[in-house]
Amino acid sequence: MLRAFFAGTFLVLLLLSAVAWRLQPRADMAGKTPLVWVSDDNPTRREQIALFNRLHPDLALRLDPGNTGMEKVIVQSLAGVGPDLFDCYDAYQLAAYVRSGVAWDITDRLQEMGIAVEREVWPFLLPIIVKDGRTYGFPTNAAVNAIWFHKDLFDRAGVPYPRGPWTWQQFLQTAKRLTVRDQRGRVRQFGLLADWWNWPQFVIQWGGSVYSPDGTRCTLDSPQAIAGVQFLHDLIYKYRVMPSPVEEAAMATAGGWGSGTITFFAGKKGAMALGARWWLCNMRSYQGLRMGVVECPHGPVRVFRGYGRATLINRNSPRREQALEFLKYEASREYNDLVNHQADALAPVIRYCQGPTYLHDPEFPREDYNAQWREVMDYGQPEQISPFVNGQAASRILNKQLDLIKNDAKPVPAALRDATRQVNEEIARTLERDPALRARYRALTGRERP
Amino acid sequence: MRGRREETWAALAFLAPNFLGFVVFTAGPVLFSLAVSFTNWNLQRTIPFQWVRLGNFADLLHDPNFWLYLVNTGYLMLGIPLSIAGSLFLAILLSQRLRGIVAYRTLFYLPTFTSGVAIMILWKALYNPEFGPINAALGWLADTLRVAITAPTWLLSTHNLLGLDVEQVRLTASQWGVGARDALIIMGIWIGIGGSNMLLYLAGISNIPTELVEAAQLDGAGNWSIFRHVTWPQLAPTTFFIVVMSFIGGLQGGFEQARVMTMGGPAGTTTTLAYYIYTKAFEEFQIGYASALSWILFSVIFVVTLINWRVGHRELSY
Repeated sequence: MLRAFFAGTFLVLLLLSAVAWRLQPRADMAGKTPLVWVSDDNPTRREQIALFNRLHPDLALRLDPGNTGMEKVIVQSLAGVGPDLFDCYDAYQLAAYVRSGVAWDITDRLQEMGIAVEREVWPFLLPIIVKDGRTYGFPTNAAVNAIWFHKDLFDRAGVPYPRGPWTWQQFLQTAKRLTVRDQRGRVRQFGLLADWWNWPQFVIQWGGSVYSPDGTRCTLDSPQAIAGVQFLHDLIYKYRVMPSPVEEAAMATAGGWGSGTITFFAGKKGAMALGARWWLCNMRSYQGLRMGVVECPHGPVRVFRGYGRATLINRNSPRREQALEFLKYEASREYNDLVNHQADALAPVIRYCQGPTYLHDPEFPREDYNAQWREVMDYGQPEQISPFVNGQAASRILNKQLDLIKNDAKPVPAALRDATRQVNEEIARTLERDPALRARYRALTGRERP
Repeated sequence: MRGRREETWAALAFLAPNFLGFVVFTAGPVLFSLAVSFTNWNLQRTIPFQWVRLGNFADLLHDPNFWLYLVNTGYLMLGIPLSIAGSLFLAILLSQRLRGIVAYRTLFYLPTFTSGVAIMILWKALYNPEFGPINAALGWLADTLRVAITAPTWLLSTHNLLGLDVEQVRLTASQWGVGARDALIIMGIWIGIGGSNMLLYLAGISNIPTELVEAAQLDGAGNWSIFRHVTWPQLAPTTFFIVVMSFIGGLQGGFEQARVMTMGGPAGTTTTLAYYIYTKAFEEFQIGYASALSWILFSVIFVVTLINWRVGHRELSY
């Protein structure tokens, strides 16, 4: 009886296995090679994939938005079940992907294809695809922040539209006039909306830096860096033209695609906002907005934060050769024109961000500010990182101190001095653990630790 | 004899799937993590793999974040006694013979089978400092009583009822107030009161022999005396179980709340040991260090449970 039961169970399991085998996605779907791209799901991404699939009938690229996040990509790729393509947002992520052996070195392959990233893409994007002289990916888009403004709100206040280049002191006069309070003194409309993660821009505009040029130590305790972050803090607590965290929470309607600040700006909670062209992906859905764009105000130095996204190929993917086709696509006119048309920031390849197609998109005739977006790109500065510290560990330290500054719970100089000391201690700990980095550090500084 | 051997084989065959699952998916990883805690494994190919003996544990003792987050974990557990008392009170109410009592029980159990993430997003909205209903109610109360109060900023504030400092393990007057940690405690109490603890107490109450209650009533005992001298002692084993499980849950907890509501902030004040383990392992890729952290957490849980057991066992011997 028991024997029959076990034999029956075994047969049922065998049958179920056969069904599962039959149902599993074929490696070759109707002659197409499947490719998986781990990226966020949104209409522009789906459109970019559709165009790729149209141009490559032998490939079937599909999106996997459920596994975004560096930790998932690394762990899955090392376990042999990773995606073929994945996103990289900054130099720290690139370093982590390279160190863990997940990113495929495509320097030679790009050369064979005639793609020279150093010449073709925006210079501030290079740190997210190039590490130690080797190239690991191709940029997906590029952005430099500028100031969005509502023409309606300027007209109503009788304030002339801003024109760049201008300084933060000039900006303050405008922002104060556009900050509107109700009878109880609560701000009804802010002069400026900005995401706090733009703080490094204020550091570089005041001539400071997050790290020394060789990345061997954190330099956020410099008078310049402190002055930059102090100004950002003062925009909230001294000049009161920007919302505090509490005021931000009060406006909170965050949700959907894009950051909360975009929603606030589109809802006219602020007359101006520090943002990039990719905000349009969201703001195009709002009716009747009359917007303008002006270069971001500058401090002692006229530079702006440049950033973007890149696509890397999984080194362990059995379809990495086919995945290379996607990077080739990202370098093509078709893709770059699509990105510009979608306003998913700006196209990664410089030469496609000019000419009538880019400047005057017939589908969006009211968007007369594309030349402005192109001009600010030349002032974009890459994110500053240190190769001697884990990016997440450094972020954890910096975010804690910046949280205290943002909440007005700690003076800026004290917070940045503590952040600097703690990041440098983290660098020292990293050097203790990593002999290769220690040797490199010694070669650069002649010392064992910061 | 042969039949007995066959029975043994059959029993082993039935046990095998579960046992194999336990070995592969539970015991194996647990032992693996113990081994890893003595290494520098960190998913970074530039660092050669090494046995570091007790190096990770020694580093932990000098890691200020570890102590801060241990204190955070302990602080967030301050709501446990209130939650248990609330569950008991609710169970007593719901054990009354009332019309529609099953509906009431279901209602109070709702938070337990509702998605945790959904509940947390809801509470995030409730805690909105300007437009959240909680501060609106506080504002109304202050107006009614004609007192001036500064409404808490809840999830945005580093303040707490004990005045714990943000950067060091010490008390600071400037940090005294109501903040993110207290907000999480209140939410935890709300979720916990009507959950499994309430069900356990309900089961415990229904198992109290009616003759004990009747005897007490005949002796002229009032409701409070009956509760104090009959119900409470009879529920001691249930309370003991709930206390032990709540402490274990509390020490392991805080991950979901941190991930969904605060990202461990503001300024790390809602980061618990569980969230710190995740950060170290999956964001900073220091698997060896995170494993050591896990084993320290296990040791803390073990010691606390042992203390609970010793103290609780003594109380149970009535």
